[in-house]
Amino acid sequence: MSIVATELSGTKFFMNFPVTDTSHTLAEYRTRFGYQALEKALREMSPTDVTKEVAAAGLLGHGGAAFPAGRKWGVVKLGDGEPHYVCMNADEGEPGTFKDRWLMECVPHMALEGLIIGSYALQGRHAFIYIRGEFDLAYRRMAEAIEEAYAAGLLGENILGTGYSLDVVLYRGAGSYVCGEASAMLASLEGKKGWPRNRPPRLTVKGLYQKPTVVNNVETLVNVPVILRLGAVEFKKVGTPKSPGTQMISISGHIAKPGVYEVEYGYLWTKFIYEDCGGIQNGKALKCIIPGGVSTKILNASEIEGVTLDHNSAVAAGSQLGSGGMIAVAEGTCMVRLAQVIQRFYHHESCGQCTPCREGMGWMERILNRIVAGGGRPEDIDRLYQISQANDGTTICSLGDSAGYACSAIMDHYREEFEYYITNGRSMYDGNLTVEDPFASALVGVAS
Amino acid sequence: MSETAVVSVTVKKMLDFAIDGVAMQAEDGQTVIEAARANGVNIPHFCWHPQLSVPGNCRICMVEIEQESGDPWFDIACNMPVTAGMHVLTNTEMIKTLRQDTMQFITLNHPVDCGICNKSGECMLQDYHYELNGAASRSRDPKTHATKFFPLSDRIMLDNERCIMCTLCVRFTNEVSGSKALGAVNRGDHALIRPAEDADFNLDVYSDNVIDLCPVGALLSTELLDHARVWYLESTRSVCPGCERGCSIDVWHRKHEWKLNALDPRMNTRIDRVTPHENPEVNGLWVCNKARDLAHLFERPRAEQAMQRGVAADLAVATTTAAQLIGAARKPVAIVSSWGSNEELSAFHAAFGAKVPGFVKADHLPLAGEIIEDHLLIKPDKNPNRKAALALYPALPERVSDALPADMDVVLVWGEGFDSALIPSGAKVIRLCSYAHADNAGADVFIPISVQTERSGHYTNFAGVVTAFNACFPVKPSIAHAEALFAALSADITAGSSA
Repeated sequence: MSIVATELSGTKFFMNFPVTDTSHTLAEYRTRFGYQALEKALREMSPTDVTKEVAAAGLLGHGGAAFPAGRKWGVVKLGDGEPHYVCMNADEGEPGTFKDRWLMECVPHMALEGLIIGSYALQGRHAFIYIRGEFDLAYRRMAEAIEEAYAAGLLGENILGTGYSLDVVLYRGAGSYVCGEASAMLASLEGKKGWPRNRPPRLTVKGLYQKPTVVNNVETLVNVPVILRLGAVEFKKVGTPKSPGTQMISISGHIAKPGVYEVEYGYLWTKFIYEDCGGIQNGKALKCIIPGGVSTKILNASEIEGVTLDHNSAVAAGSQLGSGGMIAVAEGTCMVRLAQVIQRFYHHESCGQCTPCREGMGWMERILNRIVAGGGRPEDIDRLYQISQANDGTTICSLGDSAGYACSAIMDHYREEFEYYITNGRSMYDGNLTVEDPFASALVGVAS
Repeated sequence: MSETAVVSVTVKKMLDFAIDGVAMQAEDGQTVIEAARANGVNIPHFCWHPQLSVPGNCRICMVEIEQESGDPWFDIACNMPVTAGMHVLTNTEMIKTLRQDTMQFITLNHPVDCGICNKSGECMLQDYHYELNGAASRSRDPKTHATKFFPLSDRIMLDNERCIMCTLCVRFTNEVSGSKALGAVNRGDHALIRPAEDADFNLDVYSDNVIDLCPVGALLSTELLDHARVWYLESTRSVCPGCERGCSIDVWHRKHEWKLNALDPRMNTRIDRVTPHENPEVNGLWVCNKARDLAHLFERPRAEQAMQRGVAADLAVATTTAAQLIGAARKPVAIVSSWGSNEELSAFHAAFGAKVPGFVKADHLPLAGEIIEDHLLIKPDKNPNRKAALALYPALPERVSDALPADMDVVLVWGEGFDSALIPSGAKVIRLCSYAHADNAGADVFIPISVQTERSGHYTNFAGVVTAFNACFPVKPSIAHAEALFAALSADITAGSSA
């Protein structure tokens, strides 16, 4: 995937330099204020000051739930005699989301700086990076960054001579979606099966190795050096009052210019889709959009009219910004098949621990498979609704609930397509995507 | 314990809460399911167990917490701490729906083959189906298939299709037995319980507890598999004689009303299985596999016929002969069993205490490869009542000849584990034993006696805890109860002393 050099208006914190073969290195990062925030934090600020600054900046978590990062850090009691851990959640597995990959490939040192500052704020001696196993370049760049940081005295014993010490462990996941869920991630880090666990206790009370642990998304942590460098007041001037800062958006699907974009919160959604991303491929109309990874509820073209890209507006529109993994769906797409593909993913990735998701995801996929194969029954729609509702709030982790939302939100919007498929045994769109394949003509040429 | 021992009472903070409108109290820190149980309310559960960690994966214990306003709040009772003033609702329409949904999920890929399932009749899934679901499956799609008859060990078969992934067995091996021999592989509805790669479930001497723990018919005892339906069986409270721990057990055997006349009558007096009986003072909730195998111990070939010098004799005649031998003896010695009940030991002491010096032997020694002692239950002495016997008689010395002087004239051997060759050749031998043995015929008088499952009594374990066992089967008329026999055997002593 090409990294799109965006011409988007608005402030950029991360995509504000030309990406080259060496732009990710420590030397070049230093030319972009690199590690100045860390110096400031270690030399001029107490750990509590750092947390206060992050809280004052109103930084929201970028993993999907948009939980205020400062509040999460504030729960951990300093000086309670327990080791504290900060874990960077780089297990970016939500379908359609690849913004953390860009961050780790292009600004690995910024992520590392955020992690070191976060660990300092929580007085951790060890920090962990749980990186998605499929990531190759991102993994190598993070590993290089860690090595460079150790060599430059930015990690290890007595960082920058300030007396603060931190070691970072880079851990590769083995390809499980659910390990992106914080408690499952910690179980996996501990060497156990990646199964989420029940709260209470919260991870900030008993997390990794039963010690207070803060798990932050990569994008959350890259914001930390920015906040410390600019100060909370300046940071809050970017974005909207309720969603300060910027959001990395990875857009894919039937979009003309797919890629990773950095948008200021409050950016007009339609402007982003139709102008910055060039609209839908081959001039088709937008049918609907998956706003932030397939776990967020789908919105159709009219529902994003006038909506701005920030958490409150997205919630008001009936969905969430989630992880910023946007998928555009063009007109003529069969939504039954889209639901089937999404459900196949959830069935494959359900961890198998708690009953509703373990059994429900397979059940939903089997129903959708049957509908797509032409064997749909009239009661199937109600059954799909009922299964997704039985998953809502009844599972250990929130992936169970959201797995149900995906399908029910598609049915909410496109029930008639499901009814048509069940009645006629075929898709309203003949089961074909009507978006023209850009390579189709080339293939025709080869054949002739 | 000294008389001035201070009883320390930890005063736990009590919280007031309510379940379905009934006011109750809970200890601070208790979860809703624990507090409910302490107050006699049973909240349905599959994966929760009082002595294991809380995974909260079955989701059947869902309860609602009454809210002053806003959306209803529901969560699993097994992981929810009781808070003061909390009002737990277990029977609202929403909870009923959630439980029914959960039961539908659990039975979705369960084969529901109760007709051929060994757990049928004592299966939690069956009970909860009738209690909480009661409807046919909503699914019209084929069930997923998984392994049938997967051998987890030589003793335990796993039917993965019946498994509901409660992980009780995995947690038992991790948290109680310590073998860490089980785990889960794969994800979603293809997840399977499997033995760990670096452990051997055969080496877990507590492995059979997972069969009891399994709430469904997934874990099956190869001994009981296709062997008996549980509704034909009843249990009798007993004590495992396998070691000095004396674990409380339930011995399962055929119900009286289901006794068989036409088939093999031995099936009527057979131990079909052994399960632990909860006893916090002794064994908690568990027993080791030795207790499970008591059938092999008690169903060895029995001695059923009294003999005099190898010639079959009537029980009464043999008893009289033995009584006369003891009555006439000048220097008798008794070898006392460490498998006799407290009642038998006191009867023995009452009968012979004054005249016959006795020595306690170990009827059973550890078998080759048997675990001598471990972290959980197994104790080194493999006899159930040596402590009570030693309170009355000294132990048999290591050099047996020290206990058996050359001029002794009568030796009474009670129980197994004593080599007749050690007895000086001139002495008369009276032998009381339950099992067939080559030495039986060599004795001057041999009297068969009942085994533990044919009589009632008590054992005193290593820590001094006295536990009762009850008779499961009737005893044959040709076999004597040792307790009654001792009085008869001492008749001549009593007569002699009064004469």
